[in-house]
Amino acid sequence: MKKALWKLLKSLLLFVLSLFLLSAAVFYVSRLAPGDPLVSYYGERVEKMSPEQRAWAEARLGLDQPISTQYVRWLGQALKGDFGISYKYKMDVLEVISSRVGNTLILGGMGFLLIFVGSALLGTLCAWMEERPLDKILCRVGTVLSCIPEFWLSLVLILIFSVNLGILPSSGAYSVGKSTNFGDRLVHLILPLTVVVLSHLWYYAYLIRNRLAEEIRSDYVLLAKSKGQSRGKILLGHCLRNVLPAYLSIMAISVPHIMGGTYIVEAVFSYPGLGTLSYESARYQDYNLLMVLCMLSGAVVILCGMAAKALNAGLDPRLRDGEVRP
Amino acid sequence: MGEILNIDHLSVAIDTPRGQVQAVRDVSFSLSQGETLAIVGESGCGKSILCKSIQRLLPSGGRITGGHIFFGNEDLTEKSERAMTRLRRSAFSMVFQDPMTALNPTMTVGSQIAEAVRLHHGRLPKAEVSRRVLELMDRVGIPEPVLRQHQYPHHFSGGQRQRLVLAMALAGEPAVLFADEPTTALDVTIQAQILDLFRKIQEDLNTATIFVTHDLGVVARIADRVAVMYAGKIVEIGTAEEIFYDPRHPYTKGLLRSLPALSRGKATLPTLPGMPPTLMDPPAGDAFAYRNDQALAIDYEEAPPMFSITPTHAAATWLLDPRAEKNGEEK
Repeated sequence: MKKALWKLLKSLLLFVLSLFLLSAAVFYVSRLAPGDPLVSYYGERVEKMSPEQRAWAEARLGLDQPISTQYVRWLGQALKGDFGISYKYKMDVLEVISSRVGNTLILGGMGFLLIFVGSALLGTLCAWMEERPLDKILCRVGTVLSCIPEFWLSLVLILIFSVNLGILPSSGAYSVGKSTNFGDRLVHLILPLTVVVLSHLWYYAYLIRNRLAEEIRSDYVLLAKSKGQSRGKILLGHCLRNVLPAYLSIMAISVPHIMGGTYIVEAVFSYPGLGTLSYESARYQDYNLLMVLCMLSGAVVILCGMAAKALNAGLDPRLRDGEVRP
Repeated sequence: MGEILNIDHLSVAIDTPRGQVQAVRDVSFSLSQGETLAIVGESGCGKSILCKSIQRLLPSGGRITGGHIFFGNEDLTEKSERAMTRLRRSAFSMVFQDPMTALNPTMTVGSQIAEAVRLHHGRLPKAEVSRRVLELMDRVGIPEPVLRQHQYPHHFSGGQRQRLVLAMALAGEPAVLFADEPTTALDVTIQAQILDLFRKIQEDLNTATIFVTHDLGVVARIADRVAVMYAGKIVEIGTAEEIFYDPRHPYTKGLLRSLPALSRGKATLPTLPGMPPTLMDPPAGDAFAYRNDQALAIDYEEAPPMFSITPTHAAATWLLDPRAEKNGEEK
């Protein structure tokens, strides 16, 4: 019990330390990157400002200080729970994010779920049909598909389904005034979701397929066959079970990977989620917003990595403590 | 003692990227109930593939290219995969060389044995299944089965795992038990225990066993009959006594001569010169001719047929042809 507590404490410490390092890195890099943060606050007016006005505006936003001073101030405020306001939206950063986070959770969550289940099914199907025509076709199509960049696939799908056929909307999360209409939201989700799923599906399906193909060649499968167990039961009952721990932990690691894909897809479809927001905040030097978004994404990445490790150890009896469990 | 398995001129080929390997070439033998036949030979002589092909468990690329396998009155070479799956539940069981990989690492041993019990008996009440699992574990000598059935394979030693695999094999109450070098991966004291266990089980269940090995010491301990395989063929077959005391094929003689126990006190251990031929493109004549210092000219041209020595003993070497008699038995 004590050991578990100590382990938890250790990972918590590591988590906080990682976030701290991440915040420092993002803070410095974003401020050293070229661009004018005043544009995002004052808009076009910046170009007509006199040097005095500029200096005054910079002082007002605290941008005239050295970066390290700025960082210490930001950190002090952040620890009190105040992350500042977004330059562009003139609102508390957390408010801006909370109004968008739901959309990303819907797109990313559904995408992840579909990829998770779809990959397992597709991979198992391919392993079952290994080296037969269906498997060969799927392997080739899948490889090509997973190599297509998300933004390009998005544009092609928009061209086909929105521009030429005109049956699906090309951007946004809902039509104006219909934000609570479930059907309308679903229609808007189809294209972005398709891109998110298609561009990741095969990677994980192929993983499952190969792991299963490896398992099928092991001695215990031959033994199960000689017992008279059917091929399907061996594949699902024996092999999939042995592949699952590895699959689960890889899927946990894949969360950030899929999240990154979601961000790009959001940007192309102008889907009002964290991805679009991150893109904008980085593009227009909306420092405060960028900081929180980066910390949030970073926290997800770190947590998923930790979850993967814990999952792996918990699911595979070989990695568990070798105690006799009556 | 009824005959239960009859292998009739069986040939097996395996397609590999580098060409076709003729792993089993024209093999015939039969097996009676309760009998132990040892198949002896060097690595790669096709003995494992022979076992797998009889159960129709060939790896992908492997196929039976000729001959028949009669199990009772049924020809197994003509059966569908589905029918074979059903047949394996009661006809065959298998024990492997490496007990470390033969068990599924993520399932408790109890549930793996239970799977075999259920496959053989069809629907059984849960209590009955678990009773049989405990009985099987007890029978193969696993102590405290009630506690240990919930453990995973990695909690067991190599010898114990082999016992567990044997328990699974017994759950199917097989007519024929295939044991593919079941003692090779174990140390000598454990080997002896496992062999005794095999003997005991065979007496209890009257199971016929095909015991594949390259260890002649093991053969002497367990076999009723011995088949010596070389380059995909059976070159000599006979009762254990005939093979050990009256070997006729030069390969069998060579194998026996190279037993360390028989060279005790001598300065050197006789060995067979050379390597077995590749089965990708086997030689036309006797495959052993190239390593045989008594080889005749005909050995390089024509494969020898099986010459019968006694009703139970036969060997494939031209030396047994009446015309070769003046060549002498021993050099």
